[in-house]
Amino acid sequence: MNNARTESMVLTVGFILAIACAGIWQAIVEIGGGRPLQALDLFRRVPTAANLRAYERDLEDASWLTKQLRPGMQYRQFVWLKEAGEKVLIGRDGWLFYKPGVNVLLSRPRPISGNPGADDPVAAIVAFREALAERGIELLVVVAPNKESVYPDKLTWRAAGMSGVVGPKTVGLLRRLDAAGVKTVDLFAVFDRVRQTGGPPLYLIQDSHWSPEGVAVAAKAIAGQIIDYGWIERGDIAFEIRPAVVERVGDVLRMLQVPRLEQEAVPETIRCGQVIRSDTGATYKDDPDSQVLILGDSFLRIYETDEPGSAGLIAHLAGQLKQPLTSLVSDGGASTLVRQELYRRPALWKNKKIVVWEFVERDIELGAEGWQIIPLLPIGKNSE
Amino acid sequence: MVFSSYIFLFSFLPLVLGGYYALPWVFRRLHRSEVFLSRSRNLFLLLASYVFYGWWNPKFILLMLLVSVVNYTGGRVISYPKAGPRQKRAGVTAAVVVSLSLLGFFKYGMFFQTNINEVLSWFGVGGIGIFQIVLPMGISFYTFQAMSYSIDVYRGDAPPARSLADFACYIASFPQLVAGPIVRYRAIAQQLIGRDHSWEKFASGVSMFVLGLSKKVLLANPLGGIADAGFGAQTLEVSDAWFGVTAYAFQIYFDFSGYSDMAVGLGRMIGFEFMKNFDAPYRAVSITDFWRRWHISLSTFLRDYLYIPLGGNRRGPRRTYLNLAIVMLLGGLWHGANWTFVVWGAYHGLLLAFERYLGKESVYHRLPRLARVVITFVLVLVSWVFFRCSTLHEAVLYLAAMIGLGGGTEPARLLAAVLYGRNELVIMALAVVVLAWPVPSYEWSERLTWPKAVVLAAALTLAVMAMCSQAFNPFLYFQF
Repeated sequence: MNNARTESMVLTVGFILAIACAGIWQAIVEIGGGRPLQALDLFRRVPTAANLRAYERDLEDASWLTKQLRPGMQYRQFVWLKEAGEKVLIGRDGWLFYKPGVNVLLSRPRPISGNPGADDPVAAIVAFREALAERGIELLVVVAPNKESVYPDKLTWRAAGMSGVVGPKTVGLLRRLDAAGVKTVDLFAVFDRVRQTGGPPLYLIQDSHWSPEGVAVAAKAIAGQIIDYGWIERGDIAFEIRPAVVERVGDVLRMLQVPRLEQEAVPETIRCGQVIRSDTGATYKDDPDSQVLILGDSFLRIYETDEPGSAGLIAHLAGQLKQPLTSLVSDGGASTLVRQELYRRPALWKNKKIVVWEFVERDIELGAEGWQIIPLLPIGKNSE
Repeated sequence: MVFSSYIFLFSFLPLVLGGYYALPWVFRRLHRSEVFLSRSRNLFLLLASYVFYGWWNPKFILLMLLVSVVNYTGGRVISYPKAGPRQKRAGVTAAVVVSLSLLGFFKYGMFFQTNINEVLSWFGVGGIGIFQIVLPMGISFYTFQAMSYSIDVYRGDAPPARSLADFACYIASFPQLVAGPIVRYRAIAQQLIGRDHSWEKFASGVSMFVLGLSKKVLLANPLGGIADAGFGAQTLEVSDAWFGVTAYAFQIYFDFSGYSDMAVGLGRMIGFEFMKNFDAPYRAVSITDFWRRWHISLSTFLRDYLYIPLGGNRRGPRRTYLNLAIVMLLGGLWHGANWTFVVWGAYHGLLLAFERYLGKESVYHRLPRLARVVITFVLVLVSWVFFRCSTLHEAVLYLAAMIGLGGGTEPARLLAAVLYGRNELVIMALAVVVLAWPVPSYEWSERLTWPKAVVLAAALTLAVMAMCSQAFNPFLYFQF
């Protein structure tokens, strides 16, 4: 060592102060706020590997220092480096994408866990279809395309000129479903055709979901297919569309978890079409006795229970079929959770002839709780 | 516990440093001797190190303790004044066999079982039930250190440890416990008895630690994202494949050398002096040169405890090539229980043997220095493909993509979105600048100046800010 003594002393003292003060200040903040010292939680838990991990995570989440530094760092990374964290990918022309979804499109298939009843979508869908068939109910599967599958050109300069892309995992899934005789709606082809004709975007710019135009196109395609199969006939209730404008800060933008960016962002102005009953003038409402049950995720929720209400896929599909539907929505849970909920609510089966099951493309790999095979209640319990 | 974590930096480290430097103050007031002080400091470090290690999984402290007791006992047997050559040999053999058996069981048990099943499946025979074994973190490092003690004492290169606590402190010492450098007992025996502490030494430790932390948090972690995207992609264009493997080469260097820098730095803070583990390896002009600069503590360990006992280069050219191949093959296997590591080691062994065969007068050695650096780097990049991929099949597909046989699909075009963003390009450029910096961190930290202090303060601030905004990122070498 050949260090200058004064510089060494200053650096040493500065370093010690820097690492020691964080903990001391945290204690002051906690005591000042009348809270128990988080650090002492260590002695309140059995020191197992899991408890130690949890303790470390809690300590970090509660840290005053982390709370002070994290937003500023993330804001600067976003502004200077266009780095948007674990969940967000910045595309072209201000378009934002949900990064885990993009990763599903790009990455190799994950290895199967070895439990075929847990993570194989085809096994779960076919089992569900067969259980429905026993009750005389038809199944129609709708894979809602990821935003990047419809707008790859908005993701990267290298995809300029591409109007749509279907990932190998999705192609594989649709082929296997087709081979198993499961009916599906190919929204990828439908959206691609619509894109070729121009018009407003089918997806929102700051959000991972479809736009009102995307909703309308999807509803028309699904209804057309249901009628073509002859499973039911169109009803006799007339619906009309009433314009409704909402302002929305996209979910992808909110995933950045940087409040300053949310404050600075200009919300998207979205022109929705609210579905109105022509006879009463009331906004669309579900009917538990409908012939059609629609299951799905946030792609059903957006504009439907979100603002402005009754303007999402459920209402628009009802408008196309001229009859109200029964719906069951589980945000991010269309792979398994929504069927678990269905199991708990047998009353929803009343009068059903068709189940439309929507899930977003990325859930092929990212579905919450995987793709479990969920039994249906025995037929005798249908009419509860 | 990970050095680049909130709990280590802001809880564990200040408490340990506080306790360590408070001990003399307490014991001098109690009029205790210097020997007592040095022993108590070692004991304090041992306890702190067990907390550090047990943080990952408390059960495995017992395993480390077992390795320590076995090798310490081996050392006592070897150094027993009345012990004859047979007893000494028995002592060292027992210590080495027990250590290697534990390493073999925990590290290679699963590998062995899955390969047996693979072979059985060739003959249409059903496989055996797999007995699940959890790999204890850092076991490869601390068993090697423990064995170095028994062997050094047997060879007379080092005195036996004065107590089990001292020896266990050497094995468990938290700065280098889980990912090296592999500290040999003879290099540290004297330091366990007495160490120098000074402002200058502590400050140089801070310098090394901050540089290492910055390498890990500011470079290795973001580079890891690029490498993961490349190696995780279903299909790759040629440029993407090369970009991905280059990012991985940078990541593994900054990750591992960052850890080593932090280890050296933490060691200096508590008075230890550990060896330099990296010396600008990507500026190597040959694979032989690369191995003089990369993971120096491992390559010298393998040289002294494996290559030379095998005969080194003293038994003619053919035996030299064979010895090089054996050493690198085992070196590969040391990194992980997977055929990819075996191939990685064999590849390096072959290249070392080939360079030895060419000799120093070959055409290759007459090329300009820059050309040799580039050729060496490309050869190393190819080897990292095996190191990074989890199966040989994956590695072959990746290598195929590097020669243009992997892209052409639409999703491959989208990969640009995750590989070539502004952040990724800036990080890669920054990595190149740091790699090209003429003074390596080990030398840079030796003499502190005011400008350097300012750089270190800025680097620490940035690294802490980045650390607080990143997800959990363990070091790559923890898995070895």
